[in-house]
Amino acid sequence: GVLSHLETLEARAHELALKQEETEQQEEKLARLKARVQELRLQRDELRAKVDLQQKRLLGKEGVMTSGVPDAAQPSDRAVLEWKIKTVQAMLQVFYLTGISGKLTKRGVCFCISTAYEGTYLDSYYVDLIIKPAVQIHRHSVPVFIPLEQLAKKYLQTDIKRFLSVLSDHLNAYVGRRYQADQLQEHFSDHLEGTLQRNSLCNVLAFNYNVSGKKETFLFSAKLLYGDLCRSLPTEAIISCTPDAPASLSEKTAAHSDVFRRVALHKAFNSFSSAEES
Amino acid sequence: MDEIVAEYIRRTVLKIPRDEIKTMLQTWGFLSERQLQTLNFHQTKDNVSQDVAQLCEDNSVDIKQAAVLDIIYNHIYPNKRIWSVYQMNKTGEEMDFFDLTDFKKKFKRRLQSALKNVTINFREYEDNAIWIRIAWGTPYKKPNQYKTSYVVYHSQTPYVFISASVLRSTLPLLCQALVVASNYHDIREMELRSHCLNSLKDIVFKRYSQTFQTYCPRPLQERNVAPESVDLRIIQENRNEKERIQRVNREVFGDGPQPKLEFAQYKLETMFKSNPKMDVLDIKEPFRCLVKFSSPHLLESLKSLAPAGLADAPLSPLLTCIPQKARNYFKIRERKGIFPGSFVSP
Repeated sequence: GVLSHLETLEARAHELALKQEETEQQEEKLARLKARVQELRLQRDELRAKVDLQQKRLLGKEGVMTSGVPDAAQPSDRAVLEWKIKTVQAMLQVFYLTGISGKLTKRGVCFCISTAYEGTYLDSYYVDLIIKPAVQIHRHSVPVFIPLEQLAKKYLQTDIKRFLSVLSDHLNAYVGRRYQADQLQEHFSDHLEGTLQRNSLCNVLAFNYNVSGKKETFLFSAKLLYGDLCRSLPTEAIISCTPDAPASLSEKTAAHSDVFRRVALHKAFNSFSSAEES
Repeated sequence: MDEIVAEYIRRTVLKIPRDEIKTMLQTWGFLSERQLQTLNFHQTKDNVSQDVAQLCEDNSVDIKQAAVLDIIYNHIYPNKRIWSVYQMNKTGEEMDFFDLTDFKKKFKRRLQSALKNVTINFREYEDNAIWIRIAWGTPYKKPNQYKTSYVVYHSQTPYVFISASVLRSTLPLLCQALVVASNYHDIREMELRSHCLNSLKDIVFKRYSQTFQTYCPRPLQERNVAPESVDLRIIQENRNEKERIQRVNREVFGDGPQPKLEFAQYKLETMFKSNPKMDVLDIKEPFRCLVKFSSPHLLESLKSLAPAGLADAPLSPLLTCIPQKARNYFKIRERKGIFPGSFVSP
């Protein structure tokens, strides 16, 4: 009686659910195919527009524009314009990615120096120059500890290319050093005692560290000096051991100093950890 | 001596808002966690401050440690003081490594050689800022801890932020010590003053938002765009003009928050131009006049003048050049333009 009735209802509900699923899948498939059709149509229109343009050029100035339904001319012009705009935008993007790009302004040029370190794009800095009466810097967003005035005095009047290239070196090196220090603090904080001491230019770093990464006594203390402001590797790495450290460790200070001078800071710690494991 | 120090601590604690007292004492670190537990922070501030003072006295606190508490308070609440910006100058290109211990040693030595009775404290913070607190005395009197000057210096920058005390006579001494300690040649006061220290830093370090012309504009942050009314019967009469004003405003002020200044002062020494028939002034002398704009947040209010319809866009460059020229005190003379301050060597 009641139970068999319930069973039949259940069966019917199940059937309906299956049917609904099927129809949904069909609809999805249909939508996808429709989208694909749109895509292909758009491509076809673009190609048609290109072909039309080619043909028009071949016809040359003489002669009447052969028929061409006026409607066909409209979308082709527009499509070509869009294609041109995209190409130009891509070109500007490429210039931006190369690191130095610029735009003419009413009174001169505004240069944008975009910095990067090992594949990561970092900050952009702007220098707005005016050309008359002499080339001078109108505004800029360069941090105050980069010696901009000195570089300008040296190179701006005589060789703008050199000025931009040297400034770009300074800025890239600065963001590189800063990036390394940030990475060290973020990823290797268990190797460090406390925070790392640095200054505005990130050209003097001091920290205490150990090699194993566990919270034991921090046996090494390092002071890295970056003498060349256009480079992101230290010129001097002074490593010392605590006086009561075992002799085997104090021998390692020279090796460590060498590693710090050759390899980026965060990578240096990677090599220490792998050296320990091996 | 202990009582004087304890009284100083008591008064410092009184300045702190009640909810912050415990955290600030923990940052200070002079009283141990166990001792802090014995204090009841829910009483009136008067009682709390007296308990703290008593506890410190029992632990024989000295003036240097008490000064650290003062620095911590001023670092968290710097806007209670007026800060002036000074710029240092050096000739030559030596890019020397900044050595903190060397700086501190030279500064102390220079200052103490001129005036023995000073209390000097240093404290470094994560953003490379060095805070220096100086309490001044005279050759015959001990330093007065209530008359302090504060100096904030970021290494490798030519800018120093000074909040002088009432004793202006000590300023040349302070400037000289700074110049010697940081290896510069001279120092001058810029015409830039405000209560908000961070805004002063933003202006001179160029951390505020400036707009530059570029082909690859940074993506604009989400702006609160009021939803356009869908009702087509409503027409914006001055839409073009409004858009122009917005555009010009954005070009001048940028998109981000403005640095916080409280006033801009213009000292006019220009001729009074009147209708010759009115003959207000017979003497052909410059009409001296002082114009002062004050506001809780001057630059934001200037930014909102044009969109609110109270002024024409673009605004006068005398107003909009404030962050870029890094000054809010101007002297305007006839036709020659704006005069900057002059360099003074100690």
